[in-house]
Amino acid sequence: MIFMRTDTHEFIDDLLDDLRPTRPLMLQRSLLIAAGSAALAIGVMALFIGIRPALTAGILDLLFLLASGLFLMLGIAASFTVIDMSRPQVGNTHIGWMWAVAMTALLPLTAIVLGFSQAGNAFLQSQPVQGLNCLTNGSMLGLIVGGALTMWLRRGAPTSPGQAGLLTGIAAGSLGIFAYSLHCPFGDIYHIGLWHSMTVAVSAIAGRVIVPALIRW
Amino acid sequence: MIADDATMARLMALSQTGDRQAYATLLAECQRWLQRFYARRIVQHQIDDLVQDTLLSLHRKLASYDPDRPFLPWLAAIARYRWVDHLRKVYKFDETALEEGFAAENPEPAISARISLDRMFSYLPPAQARAIELVKIEGLTIAEASQACGQSESLVKVNIHRGLKKLATMIEKE
Repeated sequence: MIFMRTDTHEFIDDLLDDLRPTRPLMLQRSLLIAAGSAALAIGVMALFIGIRPALTAGILDLLFLLASGLFLMLGIAASFTVIDMSRPQVGNTHIGWMWAVAMTALLPLTAIVLGFSQAGNAFLQSQPVQGLNCLTNGSMLGLIVGGALTMWLRRGAPTSPGQAGLLTGIAAGSLGIFAYSLHCPFGDIYHIGLWHSMTVAVSAIAGRVIVPALIRW
Repeated sequence: MIADDATMARLMALSQTGDRQAYATLLAECQRWLQRFYARRIVQHQIDDLVQDTLLSLHRKLASYDPDRPFLPWLAAIARYRWVDHLRKVYKFDETALEEGFAAENPEPAISARISLDRMFSYLPPAQARAIELVKIEGLTIAEASQACGQSESLVKVNIHRGLKKLATMIEKE
């Protein structure tokens, strides 16, 4: 699709010749795609890694429920914002996700505060070897969500590619680690607060660096 | 007389289905609307190029318009994005002639005020807005702008850089 710079009437004629029916980026369809990609990430995790037995047996603990819920809500909030950013409009505001980030940040903050106040070795208590697994696998699962959102943004017209990239990374990391937390057997605040949160942070940085170049228009 | 938002929204919805006649009318209306939108915020002889760039973006991003939402705020977001992009690329031009105002000729002044380029400028610190106006819109050199506004040359450059960066974050701000 190459349009020669010419007088405006000829230019408009060129655009008319190129017109094809287009499906608008409707909110409902985009939410379905985001939810579908998150479900796919969970499915891939369940198929290749496996849901931990305690969870399938219905044994739940408080911190797992709280932390997973926070990551899920952060993922939903960030995904919703990304979807909204693909459909620009003067008057849009994209600030709701910041509250979700602030709430989820309570997890690493709690781990750090407890680590200092108890004078214990929080890093060792966080199970660093398993933590690296969580970071790696959570990020890989997040690629499914991140890829779907990036494809969506490429069809849309995000006016802040940098912020859209950052939020794509946050959504990918949050939903990726949510999926992996269904496998991860470590449910203490140090492990979740440091390693699961780090997955979101690393994905956010990757999204901020990589995605803008893919969605700029 | 430019069509109102509801008419343009209907034309856009038809265009998304592939209706060439509706699209032709819409593009003509958008071209006229954009000519006025960019007036006074870009050197006159660059307006046609910027309007074409914006129409091309509209064409490529047809899918990003949601027919359930108003049309002009969508078009304005596309136009602002292209305008900020243009300001980053623009270089010195001799002509500085400016067109008459946009709001006064627009049939929906309340909407136009909220989505206008002037609105974006109003969020910038005066020194940054002045530096951008003088160099990027009126086409003065850094030295000429420095003399005109009383800022040092390095401060003019810093204000342009910071101002453009800030404008890029306010594309959808009302």
